[in-house]
Amino acid sequence: MPKLHELAKTIRSKNAGVNQITFDVIFPDAASYARVRDGGALSSKAVAALFRIPPERITDHVTFDLANAIKFTILRAKPSGSPGDWDILGCQAYGPLVDLDVP
Amino acid sequence: MPATRREMRIMISTGHLGTAPSGAESFLAAIDTMPDYLVADGGSSDPGPVYLGSNSVLGQFVEEELELFLVESRKRGIPLIIGSAGDSGSNHGVDETVRQLRAIAERDRIPRFRIGWFYSEVPGEAVAARIAGGERLPGLGGFPDLTAEEALRASRIVAVAGVEPFMQLLDAGCDVIVGGRCGDVCFTAAPCIRAGFPVALAYHMGKMIECASLVAEPFMGKEAIIGTITDEDIRITPYHPGQRVTVASAAGHSMYERETPYFEHALGGVLDMRACRYEEMDARSTRISGARFIPDDPLTVKLEGARKVGERYMGIVGIRDPHVIRNLDAAIAWCRSAVARQFGTTEHELHVHVFGRNGVLGDLEPYSGPPPHEVCLVIEGLAATDRLAHKLTDFAVRMFFLARIPGSKGSSGLAATTKETMRSSPGFVWNVNHTMRIGDPMELFPVHVGEAGV
Repeated sequence: MPKLHELAKTIRSKNAGVNQITFDVIFPDAASYARVRDGGALSSKAVAALFRIPPERITDHVTFDLANAIKFTILRAKPSGSPGDWDILGCQAYGPLVDLDVP
Repeated sequence: MPATRREMRIMISTGHLGTAPSGAESFLAAIDTMPDYLVADGGSSDPGPVYLGSNSVLGQFVEEELELFLVESRKRGIPLIIGSAGDSGSNHGVDETVRQLRAIAERDRIPRFRIGWFYSEVPGEAVAARIAGGERLPGLGGFPDLTAEEALRASRIVAVAGVEPFMQLLDAGCDVIVGGRCGDVCFTAAPCIRAGFPVALAYHMGKMIECASLVAEPFMGKEAIIGTITDEDIRITPYHPGQRVTVASAAGHSMYERETPYFEHALGGVLDMRACRYEEMDARSTRISGARFIPDDPLTVKLEGARKVGERYMGIVGIRDPHVIRNLDAAIAWCRSAVARQFGTTEHELHVHVFGRNGVLGDLEPYSGPPPHEVCLVIEGLAATDRLAHKLTDFAVRMFFLARIPGSKGSSGLAATTKETMRSSPGFVWNVNHTMRIGDPMELFPVHVGEAGV
């Protein structure tokens, strides 16, 4: 079973506004994109389970064929930069996706 | 349809003024092609609420970038437009940027030019009065409706401007414009819309180039990009010889830092990118068309506000004793209970970041296996005064050194600590992230015009 980083060319996360983090997983070709899109490794349900968050915290989940990309956005526990928030830009939240097993 | 194909070219080399110097070679290569405008994004809400709350600036290279931009643009007679000045677009950020530009102009003996600026701050009292008058200010990104009390608790509130203040200052003949808080797409869209290019394409070009070379591949920051708008399309071209703008990089960038790849809000309406077409036109540029713009009726403006929590210190604790690492929760509980006993009656916040466990991701961390052979704890303590925050944080650090863990063999200190706890920025939270109706896109953004140079 390959890891997500073996299939994707970009795996990133970043603030989308002050209270959300958005994740972009971009694939180099339509085949690897379709494999992950259709295999469910990054479905809303799978993502909620991975980060152990209720599905309501996922505010958006889109598959973007033009860019061979899967994109989803989650609500933060508290707004970016609040005391106690370490990742102000949300730019390391993608970490757990890198070694994700892709069926 | 015009008889001849007309175009306007807009250059950008930084998506966040001053975080690092712009790449000099691509900057000069691009500006030597004589673009119609040079633009720069002076800030964002991205780095958190501290900069708005405390009127501080993140970038250490602001002066260097401003000098490069001003000297090279004035030398060629190219207007310069900066948005969201001073990181947060606060009045102080605008004034400070104007002051720096004036000083550079004097120092470098730049011939006289017209400088314009606008402000974006909105008094908390004004916002509170509208809520008290029965108006509803809905929250964005999961925030509940704004209350008058919360508006009054903000240290500072800015409204996010659209293209209009920039257009008004261009109409006034300004060669250099310093904007308060504005939409990231607006400082690019403004000159395009003013020149009569299609509004949707103008906003879309603003969006594609707002982060400069991040729209191109491979990944490079701070390199020059030129966007070209015509009546039919936009074209994005990089000026670092190692970069290309491809369909993949441009479409990928349209997703960057927003919830969806299809929509972008600005004061005045929504950019709809669902029907966009991307096409590589040569070895390095990509052509984009098909964006639509849906005007807002009534107009709504986004407000951003920061509330102060307290002064803040941080301390670093290293733990190597496997027994303490195995009982880390007990050590943290001991620290917290000691802090509660000592400071319980005083308002404070204590955060313990455990690197080696979930220091980066916090509640989002899926890993729950054993911790590594050593862990690092960062203690973040906040209280009303500098003295109290220092005392609190230092005490919390000591409590790891003095942790009482049953079964521990160590009796000379259970944590390695730094010499001193360190003062950090004051703690702020975003407490205003809301929209408010306005009748006129200029009503919150007063413009000013002056002279600079020698």
